[in-house]
Amino acid sequence: MKRIYLDNNATTALAPEVLEEMMPFLSAEYGNPSSFHTFGSSVLERIARAREQVASLIGANPDEIIFTSGGTESDNMALRGCSALRGGPVVTTAVEHPAVLETAMHLGGPARIVGVDSSGTLDMKTFRSSLEGASVASVMFANNETGTLMPVKETAAISHEAAVPFHTDAVQAVGKVFVNVEELGVDMLSLSAHKFHGPKGVGALYLRRGMALPPLVTGGHQEKGMRAGTYNAAGIIGLGKAAELAQAHLQEEGFVKNLLGRFESGVLSRCPGAMIMAKESPRLPNTSTVIFRGIESEAVLTLLDIQGIYASSGSACSTGSKDPSHVLMAMGLDHNLANSAVRFSLSRFTTAEELDHAVDALAGIVEKLRAISPYT
Amino acid sequence: MWKYSEVLMDHFMNPRNVGTLENPDGHSEVGSPQCGDAMNLDIEIDQDDRVSDIKFRTFGCAGAIASASALTELVKGLPLDEALKVKNSQIAEYLGGMPPEKYHCSVMGQQALKAAVKDFREKSAQVRQAVDGIISGFKGITVIKIHPRWILVKGESPEFERIQDVLEGKLGRRIEIRRTAE
Repeated sequence: MKRIYLDNNATTALAPEVLEEMMPFLSAEYGNPSSFHTFGSSVLERIARAREQVASLIGANPDEIIFTSGGTESDNMALRGCSALRGGPVVTTAVEHPAVLETAMHLGGPARIVGVDSSGTLDMKTFRSSLEGASVASVMFANNETGTLMPVKETAAISHEAAVPFHTDAVQAVGKVFVNVEELGVDMLSLSAHKFHGPKGVGALYLRRGMALPPLVTGGHQEKGMRAGTYNAAGIIGLGKAAELAQAHLQEEGFVKNLLGRFESGVLSRCPGAMIMAKESPRLPNTSTVIFRGIESEAVLTLLDIQGIYASSGSACSTGSKDPSHVLMAMGLDHNLANSAVRFSLSRFTTAEELDHAVDALAGIVEKLRAISPYT
Repeated sequence: MWKYSEVLMDHFMNPRNVGTLENPDGHSEVGSPQCGDAMNLDIEIDQDDRVSDIKFRTFGCAGAIASASALTELVKGLPLDEALKVKNSQIAEYLGGMPPEKYHCSVMGQQALKAAVKDFREKSAQVRQAVDGIISGFKGITVIKIHPRWILVKGESPEFERIQDVLEGKLGRRIEIRRTAE
């Protein structure tokens, strides 16, 4: 059975070129980058190149890149660091990833959480009025569930007017759409390698020149003392290569967008009761959350899985949690609709043929489950 | 993916007793506030108080759909009081086990069955009330049994047709008068 992977917001396939770049550092070139001898320090030179590659992808200077274990650590470092330095609560949005939302919740007082409307648009008035006395404002670049793009440039400017540092969790955006820290005017930005065909367990925090954050992990001089621990050499070098490849592929953004359009029109025309979340909002080119009205998403995912098609949902049933997706609930969906949402996320490796096959499968699944449903 | 057994997957992929009954003796619509699942259930009860037919429709995950299917298979043909005693552990066992996180799915089926039986009993009580108000006026007839769709009587009367008309007028639906010699 051919595997059709449509869960690229969860993680992506490692690009073959990335693996190739990493391999020497998992085998022969095992020196510690922090060592004095050339066997180790030559690896540090490769890490410096990775730093340049990552910086180039987001329009930063290499000395503004701090390597971390991934997006979650980068988010923690930014929020906890600002809270420790400045005190005061975190201002953030209701649709953040838990890495931000849970971290912010009780950091320097109850978090000030700004809501969105049904299209995912942020309540700018409340955002503005929440900033006074805040330690940091954090607004994600693109939502992981719906793909909606948030007003990062605008919220960053408003935060700076209120003299509040600004962080963006750009984990879902970097490598998929054009992201430039100078243009956005952000102070901190989180990114993660495995979301754009790099390895898992490595990411970075962009930290604007002149800023310093207290370390989360202490006990070493690495990353200017802001992130101790032996360098994850292979991971960092893989991240660098993935960044270089992503930058080269950014021009092909239209390719994924066209595929997504083909998929969405197929689903809408062949699956009765289907609707696309935030269809008219600015979105990532690769993400589509489909509400299959009248049927529960875990049932859809299970039937897709049997056919080798992998997607995801934030439904209570599939995650074993009590509550459905906080993102969809924040966008005003009721329990029922939120539990009917399935997310499909594409990558540059997705093909039209795979998507046509997925649409065929979905049409059959929806027909089958609607026949069982009390709501249709 | 949850670790679902082969039997459970079969009941999910090919659920038994799906649909609705045209004139159910008991009908229920229940939902689980815990996970947003929902279930509609129709039951038909025969003269021996057995569940002679049962149909369901479910909004829910694979576990919920398979549990509902299993419940209908387990209770079909059982006397009502025994049907009500079917436990969700029996449903889980019938399905070859379930992930613990999914136990609550099987509870919804029992709730639906209880509610459908309650509906059956309420409908029967309506018939009982209507019958009590009428039949005392007719001599020589004893009511043996009451059911939402019929009454079972002993004795003879030339006025059965009139009794039926009055009953149907009162209840607004078809009521059959079944006679027994016993």
